[in-house]
Amino acid sequence: MHKPKRESWGSRLGIIMAVAGSAVGLGNFLRFPVQAAGNGGGAFMIPYFVALLLLGIPLVWIEWTLGRYGGGFEHGTAPGIFHSLLQKNRFIKYFGVIGIFGPFVIFIYYTFIASWTLGYSFYSIKGVLAPLGDQASIQSFLRGYQGLEQNGFFKSIAPAYMFFLITFSLNIFVIYYGIRGGIETLCKIALPVLFCFGIILAIRVLTLGAPDAAKPGWNVGNGLGFLWNPDFGALKSAKVWLAAAGQIFFTLSVGIGVILTYASYLSKGDDVVLSGMTAVSMNEFAEVVLGSSIIIPAAFVFFGPIDIQAIARQGAFDLGFVTMPLILGKLPLSSIFSFLWFALLFLAGVTSSVSLAQPAVAFLEDEFNISRKRAVGIFAAVGFLLCQPAIFFLGRGVVNELDFWGGTFCLVLFGTIETILFVWVFGMDKAWEEIHHGADIRIPRIFKFIIKYVTPVFLLVILGAWFFQEGLPTIFLKGVSEADKPFVLWTRLGLIALFSALAIMVKIAWRKRRKRA
Amino acid sequence: MNIYGWIFLILSWSGILTLGTFCFHRVFSKKEVK
Repeated sequence: MHKPKRESWGSRLGIIMAVAGSAVGLGNFLRFPVQAAGNGGGAFMIPYFVALLLLGIPLVWIEWTLGRYGGGFEHGTAPGIFHSLLQKNRFIKYFGVIGIFGPFVIFIYYTFIASWTLGYSFYSIKGVLAPLGDQASIQSFLRGYQGLEQNGFFKSIAPAYMFFLITFSLNIFVIYYGIRGGIETLCKIALPVLFCFGIILAIRVLTLGAPDAAKPGWNVGNGLGFLWNPDFGALKSAKVWLAAAGQIFFTLSVGIGVILTYASYLSKGDDVVLSGMTAVSMNEFAEVVLGSSIIIPAAFVFFGPIDIQAIARQGAFDLGFVTMPLILGKLPLSSIFSFLWFALLFLAGVTSSVSLAQPAVAFLEDEFNISRKRAVGIFAAVGFLLCQPAIFFLGRGVVNELDFWGGTFCLVLFGTIETILFVWVFGMDKAWEEIHHGADIRIPRIFKFIIKYVTPVFLLVILGAWFFQEGLPTIFLKGVSEADKPFVLWTRLGLIALFSALAIMVKIAWRKRRKRA
Repeated sequence: MNIYGWIFLILSWSGILTLGTFCFHRVFSKKEVK
């Protein structure tokens, strides 16, 4: 059977924007400031940048290179890419199942969460959010919207479901139009708009001064100080170093499998070193410059130095969906600023969710030799069905369970596996040569040592520490109520079934390939 | 914000902006052949 030519990116800026769009997500604006404020303030930036240099950037180069290498063998997902590294080994491709399973599982709940931001953008511009003047009302609004309770704001989950349908359809529409016509076009429009919204919001917050004349200490300078004043004692804590490494891991979209797929649409002679670094710099601008300038300083000037500590502890989502509307509601033109905030989160969310959908679609296209239209159709049908438990059993621990396996465990495990395969199985000398194929800049030689020894050890330490700190309690359902346990266990069974189904599909695809050969 | 806070903020932001400027300058200075 004739195999259609694989797609390619329309321009170099296109893939840079797409990878940056995948990396810039809700975490840049919600998770980073909370992590920094809670882990030593300015001192957090020391382990953060150390982790960026020793873990983040090496992993970015590894994934870009692996993706481009696999794409040369017409493989766009981890099973095929790993197989092309060591073709004699029949088992290696099964490690790659994690690289399809992980993004698919994240897509299942992330799309619903991204749709909240679309809903909140709508309610902001409609002027519904601004009059909610206290924390309890906004909390109640959120719970009603999520379908967790019926209240004066919402009688059912129908509005949230409608915004989910719009967000889901937008994702499908974008991936239907392919790499160049869909994802690249979306990211080239959405990312500049996102940065503009972020800069406008940052300027608005940084020019707030001290809004309450009776409390001159509640000013922006001190708000920035809450996030940036260093607590050097925190550097002695392993927890802080682990938190910084975790933040780097999650913010750069490494260990998911998305960069592998995106880079597989490059040509052999395309640069990956400079392009990877450029995408990293865009993500870091969104995270460290914009992420630190909006939510924490704004919360400080309106709630003061005592309450901000409780606010920072309440977690990223409450900060974004409860505290931020409350703060923006106190500003002139509150509806517009509230809209900008949620539209920014929506653009960040949707450019990430399309990237999460792409590995599964590429797997169907490349390994089963089916058309993009059919692959997207299959993905849409299966994805839509699997999203339903995350929507209707949100309060039952289903999303936490999906996030644990898809969004945390698989990321760290997959990052470790791909690094070991690339550096130790493929071989460091070959790997170094492959990274520099068509490279516009040379990587300093010290990184050869870092990539070979430091990055794998760093990853193994994170994997081990994280497994004992968070993994074991979650696996043994610690803190899960008796009423929620059946839902969590059913979710776990569903995930095992999904993983097994993907592994079987890999087996079938390779059997077909052998027959064709 | 104390002096150390400003130092960390300025160093972090300027580092990131310098990296971004360098990368984009190199990306745009090379003519793309497709």
